[in-house]
Amino acid sequence: MAKSAMAAPIRQRRPAAKGVALNRVIIYTVLIFGAAAAILPFLYTVSVSLMNLTEATGGRAFPNTPQWSNYVEAWHDAQFSLYFMNSIKITLITVGGAIVFCALAAYAFAQMEFPGKGFLFTLLLSTLMLPEAITWVPNFITVSWLGRISPVPWINNWPALTIPFMASAFGIFLLRQFFQQIPKELWDSAQIDGAGHLRYLITVILPLSSAAVMTLVLFGFVGSWNALAWPILVTTTPDWRPISYGLLAFLDEAGALLHLQMAGALITMLPIVVLYFFTQRHFIEGIATTGLKG
Amino acid sequence: MDGSLSPSAAVRTDLLRQMQAVPRWYRGRQSRRLREMLLAYSFLAPAFIIIGLFGLFPLAFAAYESTLKGLNKIVGSYDGLGNYVKAVDNLIYIIAFWLAAGLILYAGRTIARAFQERRQQQTEPLPWLAPGFVTAVGVALFAHFVYLLLPELLLIPSKLRGQINTQAAFRGLVVEAWWLPKVQIALWGAIALLALGVGGALFVNSRLPRARRNRIYFAPFVSAGITVTAGAALAWLTWTEINAAYSDALEKGEGLDLWSQIVTISAGFLLLLLAWWVWESAGDRPSNTAMALRLGSAAMLMVGGWTLIGELPRVIAAGDQDWWIGLMATVYYVLGTAPIQLGLSLILAVLLFQKIRGQSVFRVLYFLPYVAPFVGTAAVFRIIFSNRPSAPLNSMLTMLGADPLLWLSEPTGIFQMIAGSHVDLGPILAGPSLALVAIMIYGIWTFVGFDTVIFLAGLGAIPNELYEVSAIDGADGWAQFRHVTLPLLSPTIYFLSLYAVIGTFKAFNHIFVLRQAAALGTTDTASIVIFQAFKRDTRYGYASALAILLLIIILAITMINNRVASRRVFYG
Repeated sequence: MAKSAMAAPIRQRRPAAKGVALNRVIIYTVLIFGAAAAILPFLYTVSVSLMNLTEATGGRAFPNTPQWSNYVEAWHDAQFSLYFMNSIKITLITVGGAIVFCALAAYAFAQMEFPGKGFLFTLLLSTLMLPEAITWVPNFITVSWLGRISPVPWINNWPALTIPFMASAFGIFLLRQFFQQIPKELWDSAQIDGAGHLRYLITVILPLSSAAVMTLVLFGFVGSWNALAWPILVTTTPDWRPISYGLLAFLDEAGALLHLQMAGALITMLPIVVLYFFTQRHFIEGIATTGLKG
Repeated sequence: MDGSLSPSAAVRTDLLRQMQAVPRWYRGRQSRRLREMLLAYSFLAPAFIIIGLFGLFPLAFAAYESTLKGLNKIVGSYDGLGNYVKAVDNLIYIIAFWLAAGLILYAGRTIARAFQERRQQQTEPLPWLAPGFVTAVGVALFAHFVYLLLPELLLIPSKLRGQINTQAAFRGLVVEAWWLPKVQIALWGAIALLALGVGGALFVNSRLPRARRNRIYFAPFVSAGITVTAGAALAWLTWTEINAAYSDALEKGEGLDLWSQIVTISAGFLLLLLAWWVWESAGDRPSNTAMALRLGSAAMLMVGGWTLIGELPRVIAAGDQDWWIGLMATVYYVLGTAPIQLGLSLILAVLLFQKIRGQSVFRVLYFLPYVAPFVGTAAVFRIIFSNRPSAPLNSMLTMLGADPLLWLSEPTGIFQMIAGSHVDLGPILAGPSLALVAIMIYGIWTFVGFDTVIFLAGLGAIPNELYEVSAIDGADGWAQFRHVTLPLLSPTIYFLSLYAVIGTFKAFNHIFVLRQAAALGTTDTASIVIFQAFKRDTRYGYASALAILLLIIILAITMINNRVASRRVFYG
């Protein structure tokens, strides 16, 4: 199932021979209508973010002259340079840890034999069912408590924002799906060459599944770009506050300055959207693989 | 290991080195498996420490925290089920009682199944009984250890108040708490019992004749033992809590109310369950009996439903209004988004699956709303659905000659708005507030693309031959869709609907951005209510209790969904 889901171009059905012309018109109309609904809000954002204040509040559809300076103004007013830097740091630390921890665990599940494998895997997948809300209070207390005994504080600092997300059932599951498809013969020949499990994982498995690692990086990136509830709970100063919280604070601050709000929203969306357009195959396949089986 | 040697030489030197370096017990086939096992566990360790600490342990922690009361206090005084009573009133006694009963029933069924297999397949479950239960008691004792150590650790910050608050002093108190006699006794008792249980299981395994080793009853008996213990503990807690509440009520002179409420509501739910069961079993009977059974089931349904309609509103009125409104908003949200979202995306996916140009372009565009950061897109929708007369939607309405609406700031239910102000539809019939409807539209907008992509993957997995065969049989497009595509797509539909329902109960980000004070809390779904209880009201225990209730709801939905799916979903 996973394999066929990943076949990049969608497999197609032969169309019926009769009545094709009319059907085509209807199909294209519906599809184009859907696409318009999906992207109109984005076009509207671009348009308003280029207006001046009177145009934005006046309900115009297009700006008279594009105000490019809006972006600069929003960037400064919202302190985006700080929040972007924070988000990038948080993402790098989280994703770096996630690749190491998830790859190790996924490798154990995919290629090694040990008692309790099925039980541990079920336990892992059952964490996907837990609502995030149930972890808020306990994890907040745990994190503030750990900050008291560890050399660095956790609250208002990188550990609280990154360490809890370094290993996830989702990441382990995603990598395991790919690791499992690698033929066992490779391990046999690696053994003959004298490689141990760790060395085999690093030099053979990981390079072979670079697509999966790429997907993990992308999802880690989107995940930390989207994080909101947890950062609100564990940051009280802007020092480590990520971009989504920064944008939310700016929205309340900017109040009636709609054009700046839109410019701010556009700036925060841009990195992810650009990343998506460049890597959309990894993205969509990753979702399809894990979604179908999860 | 050395890259410059030829493979066979490398193996030889490697083997030689290993033979010399490794003790005897560490060699040979058995030990290779042992080493692989240890290596696998060390590979798993980092991930499981993090997931255990921040993903699994919170469950136990939240359960503990939910029994404490107090404002802005991590460790308040013990309050039993008090937080739950505040949220859902007497309903919690019923939930806890039936949860305990369900756990014990589950354990009983596991054991009964093992002995049934003994009779039918001549397996040997008996020797596994003792090690299984010893291990289960060990697990229970370990849980006891956690619940002994946890409060001691949490009390440290308040112990340090007034003293020199250094990290060294804090760590000193941590060590002190760890070495408390009761903690140590529980810990070592648990370790001893677990070792005894696992050792016993290994012993049983080695003594069984080889032919009978294929069936190992260790895991079922351990899980049965754990569920029995948990069920008994929960039942005991419920019983003491009901008694305490009953004596409280007696003092106020309304003693009978509590019990009658508990019994009536339980009876109502039991009748509903029984009605469902009778209805299902009617299918296998001859038509006359089936007719009678179905009539009986319908009667039970009505009586049970009537009892609940009579009794539940009183309980709901006595609970926390914010919580019930939150649950109501969540249910509206599910009912309003999931079917529309699934329908739209199924249409789009089936159309995209035809041979058309620009297929991948469409797919990329549909997926965009799901990928774009939620806070950003929610900010955009906040402006589109704003209550200003010149906001996009309102200016469109004005162009059509209608009055502008308040959208995200409108707390009135939409059916109430359609019916006009001269009829009062009451809180439930009025429907979701217009503000919530606006948030639902946002939800549909983001998730249609996601569902479409998953549907496309599901469609791609349907073998083409089925269409060719059905075409030979003379099936036209619609018949193919109805009898080939839909049944084979049912696992995907099932997954997506479950995902939509659970996702709604978890939904937080976009609702938090889109909620306006003027909507008077009509847009606050369950997660938002929990977040506010924690962050705004700093009531840790209460927020934990609400989160546990949310978990119970999600588990119940998943179980019901699985039950339905096992009948209706076709897995190839």
